[in-house]
Amino acid sequence: MSLAKLADIDRRVFYWILFIALMVPFLSPIGFPITLSPNTQDLYDGVTGDEVEEGEVWILNFGYGVSAWSECHPSVTVCTKALFREGAKIIITGTHYDVELTYNKLQDTCRADFDNKVYGVDYVFLGYMTGGESVVAQLGSDIASVYPQDHFGTPYDEIPMLEGIVDNADIAGVLSSDTGDYGGHFMTQWQSAYGTKLAEIGIAMNASTDLPRWQAGNFFGVSVGSRGGAELEQLIGELGEATTAMDSISVSHLLLILAIIVGNIGVITEKLGGNK
Amino acid sequence: MAYPTATLDVIGLWVGWFLMLMIYSYPLYKENVSYRFAEHLFIGITLAITAITNFSNIMRMCITPLMQGQILMIVPLILGLMIFTMLIPEYRWVSRYPIALMVGAGFGLGIRGTIKPNLQDAIIDTITAPTGGGLIDWFNYLWVAVGLVCSILYFMLTFEHSGALKTPTRIGRLFLMIALGGYFGNTVLFRFTMLTGRAQFFLQVLKLIPM
Repeated sequence: MSLAKLADIDRRVFYWILFIALMVPFLSPIGFPITLSPNTQDLYDGVTGDEVEEGEVWILNFGYGVSAWSECHPSVTVCTKALFREGAKIIITGTHYDVELTYNKLQDTCRADFDNKVYGVDYVFLGYMTGGESVVAQLGSDIASVYPQDHFGTPYDEIPMLEGIVDNADIAGVLSSDTGDYGGHFMTQWQSAYGTKLAEIGIAMNASTDLPRWQAGNFFGVSVGSRGGAELEQLIGELGEATTAMDSISVSHLLLILAIIVGNIGVITEKLGGNK
Repeated sequence: MAYPTATLDVIGLWVGWFLMLMIYSYPLYKENVSYRFAEHLFIGITLAITAITNFSNIMRMCITPLMQGQILMIVPLILGLMIFTMLIPEYRWVSRYPIALMVGAGFGLGIRGTIKPNLQDAIIDTITAPTGGGLIDWFNYLWVAVGLVCSILYFMLTFEHSGALKTPTRIGRLFLMIALGGYFGNTVLFRFTMLTGRAQFFLQVLKLIPM
């Protein structure tokens, strides 16, 4: 077989190999080492220890849907656990329409921590908000105007935890987790405008946008995709779905590199006349 | 999270499993009826969820307060309804007013917080020399500085990219290609992670790995 044929392998062959290869590490874990990134360490440090005072209120924004659970949710789970264990209270908001599913998922993945907390006293789920950057800005100046009631219909002023919570000044920090740029909206409308502490739990695709913002000090920490989730799981000492998935993700990357090499060998051979 | 035991939950799980396979039948085999069916079902359900969520949102944020006596809520309601006039050609001009308001407000809000984090902080971080660290920090600092200057020069179209500008603009183009490669790599990484999630789900439903 001429090497030039390597450039013309049916893409379905690659997809089949990939789909099967991704499953193998789940059945038989390889245990690739995971090193800690400074941006993830900063995120963890920012939601633990002296950085969080008991009783202070944080906002956790879900800007991702079901499709990005594997990327964002492990990090969100660890940060929620960490904040709860430091005695912080959490306001959960959502900028993705299937926020309710993600909220239910969080209750599953942090079940033990939620069991020790009381809804309306330690945490509250305000639900979905629409309006992009405008609504994030409005949230900073008057939370109740965006959420006259919580997701379940309880009026804002009847929720004990929200008593005295009016605007950004009453919020200790924001964790924005999204597939888009809601982290950027919180950065321009909260962090830059009011100096609110802000961290981003983003998808790997947005790493090149998020990391410079962390380096410039706009985000106090950044978690990048599943990898960030696996690092956070190590830091909190409770290995979860991200750690399990990392082997599979690493295999997918190795396969991709292999495919690029094979394809290029084919193209180069073809150019050199190997197909003749 | 444990494997569900309620009948409806189990059915939901298996429906999801089959729909996933139907969608994957396109890249793994070829376009076919089952893929088309799953695709249309997905689009329909997504649109339905979006419509209901947005309707509930309007009810919660606007209609309910209006009914409770907050008469000013009539303003965003009217502005919102005005947008629908774009569906009637002879009254389309009416929709331009709420859109102009949205664009103006959005632009103003965007400007408010953009300059400091996106320009000032980013530039300061780029031009600040490392105070400590090792050789690698200085290498990174110079690498970014050269990349920044050359990339900006590449977009300076007032002068022809020849003579003294030839080399730096070529280097700038190289940096841009590397940056785009990085972006693409991150995108691929994200998609593969999503695929990994599906592979995990595939095995979990079959009870081959714990849920």
